[in-house]
Amino acid sequence: MVLYDDSATLAGSCSGSSSSFSSKPPPMQQQQDIDDLLAGAGYKVRSSELRKVAHRLERLETAMVNSPADFSQLASDTIHYNPSDLASWVDSLLSEFAEAPPCPSEFIMDPVTNQTVVNDVWTTTNPNMSQVHQNISYELQSLNNQLTVVTAMEEDSGIRLVHMLMTCAECVQRGDFSLATSFLKDMQGLLTRVNTVCGIGKVAGHFIDALSRRIFQGFGGGSINGGSSYENEILYHHFYEACPYLKFAHFTANQAILEAFDGDDCVHVVDFNLMHGLQWPALIQALALRPGGPPLLRLTGIGPPSPDGRDSLREIGLRLAELARSVNVRFAFRGVAASRLEDVKPWMLQVNPKESVAVNSIMQLHRLLGSDSNLNYPIETVLSWIRSLNPKIMTVVEQEANHNQPGFLDRFTEALHYYSTMFDSLEACTVEPDKTLAEIYIQREITNVVSCEGPARVERHEPLAKWRTRLSGAGFRPSHLGSNAYKQASMLLTLFSAEGYSVEENEGCLTLGWHSRPLIAASAWQAVSHASAALDTHRPAQSKAGK
Amino acid sequence: MVQYHHRGCHRQGNHETVGENKEKRPKFFINDHVDILIEILKRLDCRSLCVAASVCRLWCTIARNDSLWENLCFRHVSPPPTSVRSVVLALGGYKRLYMGCVRPVRSRLGRARRASWARDEVQLSLSLFCVDYYERLGGSNSNGRVVGESSPSSLMFLCKPVNV
Repeated sequence: MVLYDDSATLAGSCSGSSSSFSSKPPPMQQQQDIDDLLAGAGYKVRSSELRKVAHRLERLETAMVNSPADFSQLASDTIHYNPSDLASWVDSLLSEFAEAPPCPSEFIMDPVTNQTVVNDVWTTTNPNMSQVHQNISYELQSLNNQLTVVTAMEEDSGIRLVHMLMTCAECVQRGDFSLATSFLKDMQGLLTRVNTVCGIGKVAGHFIDALSRRIFQGFGGGSINGGSSYENEILYHHFYEACPYLKFAHFTANQAILEAFDGDDCVHVVDFNLMHGLQWPALIQALALRPGGPPLLRLTGIGPPSPDGRDSLREIGLRLAELARSVNVRFAFRGVAASRLEDVKPWMLQVNPKESVAVNSIMQLHRLLGSDSNLNYPIETVLSWIRSLNPKIMTVVEQEANHNQPGFLDRFTEALHYYSTMFDSLEACTVEPDKTLAEIYIQREITNVVSCEGPARVERHEPLAKWRTRLSGAGFRPSHLGSNAYKQASMLLTLFSAEGYSVEENEGCLTLGWHSRPLIAASAWQAVSHASAALDTHRPAQSKAGK
Repeated sequence: MVQYHHRGCHRQGNHETVGENKEKRPKFFINDHVDILIEILKRLDCRSLCVAASVCRLWCTIARNDSLWENLCFRHVSPPPTSVRSVVLALGGYKRLYMGCVRPVRSRLGRARRASWARDEVQLSLSLFCVDYYERLGGSNSNGRVVGESSPSSLMFLCKPVNV
């Protein structure tokens, strides 16, 4: 490795700090304080020197922008040694420039009060940097975007926007609505300077809307929750097309159900939210082709009643029946119309004691939660009647987020992270009108999380860990999803051609995420038999507490 | 048997086309031997098969025959159970399965492919094919989607590769 001693002094004098760069410590010592996150990316930088290297990179970037002619000569004529040693490599480049102009980086120096949020937001707008050390990622990203002055201003506005969103949310939590309103006005002004077609501008726009709804329209959420079920179905369908989350949910749940029904002749699936029944064709086909022939399949679909006399549940049932008839699967459908899941009673499902039951809930259980964990919310009633059906398997797919915290600011912050990531993943989709309508679908969720309270807030997402506790306490035992489900999910993702999605296995459950942030989690459960449940009652207060 | 004779004839064709032998030995015309033609076309890949379909009407008819596409679908996989055929035919046929699902699935998964995935690829293709059939069923109903003329197809994401 060749070192440039003069570069060390040059760098040292400019940055104003003493640099111990000129002498390389022996390799053994060096190994110990190499930053391991960057090492994973192939760069060897000492942890103590991260900040210095960042500044030098920034200067290099400025120099590149301001004197491109020099740099091109640099690129072709100079020999660079070992770029993995980032610090000395940057120094070697810098030393070629006569004098580096001061970098216009006031906003980098600004203390950012909530750096975590900003960094995470940055990672969503530039996904390639998500793995890097916090400081470096912030500065390097700002460098990458500093190529034009306009972009710098825009990103600056983006950061300010996030800043203001957080402050506004905090005002709302405190009850200081007048200050919050003034922030809203400022933010709306700032929005005009930011690109709202993609990235942080778009997400911020939705959150600003939601905040203004909360401030001006109270906790009912206005008319957004009253969207007709027909509209909801359309939006849901486009969300299904635009991104893989629902497909992942359906395929994983189907795989678990298929494996659970192995060897059964009479099976009954209860779907908590039928929508257009997109999950079931694949299961019907898989049952048709299973070795040993298809069983008798009964499907009970629960859905909201249709307003204008159309029986949408029955129509979906007819379509599924026609499909089943084409592939020679004996099929029976029953629709249960209920506007809320808690209105459904087990006798409506008409479960036959001889058949194997599967309960399928795709993003429905969270609607039954409440904010106070001590009161008796519908979730307990519903889980207990599910258990009384003695299902062979219950598949639960839920959003992997913590949007049910009592504190508004915490909820807001979490939602900002989560939905920024989700919008970022949606950028990969180019099929219209799927993409726009999928965004509207997500926007409704955002509005509900941010602007509603009490019974109007139905999007009460909880993370997988909490669901595990809750379901274990209600008498269910986890059933591991298995390698077939994992393989299928991975293949499905590869088909989506977007490099950011990742499937992970989490103690027998599968999560799908964007760039290592899990966004949706699928799990399977079996009802603990009553014999072993009787043993559990000897352990006091285990099932009642913690709900 | 017949093959040998004709092959031999073809080889010597250059010498013997002119003159007496023309009347004695008929020219080999592949279209007269549909069984041989089918055997040959069965071994083609998708692109060649599509090109072959534009040669003449006979070839077109044969190339459209679903059993050729069945071979294509299960080419790298051990032969599937017989029940698969009835299901696939009910859902729209092997050609549709191949063009709509198997081919894009194979090409997309090509980079990350492992030998053991071939069977799973076909199964995934079948599932996606089934969902597509179901959506086509819905389009024929007078459900009437509000959103534009093109009803959303769950296979659209296969048609348009996305580069991020």
